[in-house]
Amino acid sequence: MAATMKLSTLGYAASMLSTGLLDEQFQKLLLLQNKSDPNFVAETITLFCEDGEHTIGELTKRLDKQCVNFDEVAAFVHKLEGGSASVGAKRVKNTCIQFLEFCKEKSRDGCLKTLDTLRVVFYEVSGKFKDMLQLEQQQAEATK
Amino acid sequence: MEGGGGLEEGVMRVLLVDDSPVDRKVVQLVLGSNTFAGSFHVTAVDSAKKAMEFLGLKDGKEQAIDMVLTDYCMPEMNGYDLLKAIKAMSFLKPIPVIVMSSENEPQRISRCLKAGAEDYIVKPLQTKDVPRLRSCSNAKSKDASCNTVSNRKLPADHIVVDGASSPGRRAHITEIAMILHSSSAGLSHYFPFLFKFILLVYTILCLGELLHRWSNGSFLSMW
Repeated sequence: MAATMKLSTLGYAASMLSTGLLDEQFQKLLLLQNKSDPNFVAETITLFCEDGEHTIGELTKRLDKQCVNFDEVAAFVHKLEGGSASVGAKRVKNTCIQFLEFCKEKSRDGCLKTLDTLRVVFYEVSGKFKDMLQLEQQQAEATK
Repeated sequence: MEGGGGLEEGVMRVLLVDDSPVDRKVVQLVLGSNTFAGSFHVTAVDSAKKAMEFLGLKDGKEQAIDMVLTDYCMPEMNGYDLLKAIKAMSFLKPIPVIVMSSENEPQRISRCLKAGAEDYIVKPLQTKDVPRLRSCSNAKSKDASCNTVSNRKLPADHIVVDGASSPGRRAHITEIAMILHSSSAGLSHYFPFLFKFILLVYTILCLGELLHRWSNGSFLSMW
């Protein structure tokens, strides 16, 4: 059962890889997962989705202010960049890198524009992750 | 704070410091994978302050940590400040510290190595990075030199890591090697530039010698 689940997840991940949403880091995580904790990757990507949503909320709040603290904004973006690199969310990571450039330039307009892009790519990848987890859960229930 | 419990001999005790729950999870996945099953016991904290509190509880007692693996960018107290604090606090029984960061920035690497970091790893942590953790840990013999990638990959006739040399000199050599290794350009990309630079210096020296001889009137005697 664990092997079937893993194969379906790998297949789903392969499609996300081909569209550039994920990079090979995600596949490495799947291959590292062991039998003692088969839900490790699922927990990690769930954390990523929750943490990322919280981060985007904080960024929206901070950029809504007239006087923006770019160091604080950069700290949040950097954290999301790190998390996305760790799970292999390539497009989110690249958008965060662009975002950090605008933070360095202290450009509120640039940051706002990139935040819109970040929101789109983040929700795209987190939506796919949620679909993937749902698929696994359905398969697990079907094989019981 | 995550982790705890009794330990078998030979298990490396790692204090992981990272404010990102995702990154902590990934490091735990890598160190807990089948490849290294049972080799690591990871205690994870989400701030440098908690790391200090954890390490501070062990004052006067045998340290329960073989190595600290810390993220660089953290709020309030960052990994660099944590590194300096640990090195200052643990001078009697040094605790190896490895810094992780998503930034592959030579200045940052240099700064950390100068402050005493045993190594600098670009995130995300990969399976291939784990031997670098092992080689820097207190779980090994204290006399064993830290087998960082910089020391292993460079030829012995170019870099001599003398165990008797001062920590500053070794850190400087390690720093240069680490920067070259960690640069995204790769070591091999420096060779053409280095070759041209050496050629230029040699040409200038030769010209200087020729001008010197010309001015001394000994130029014609060469012919």
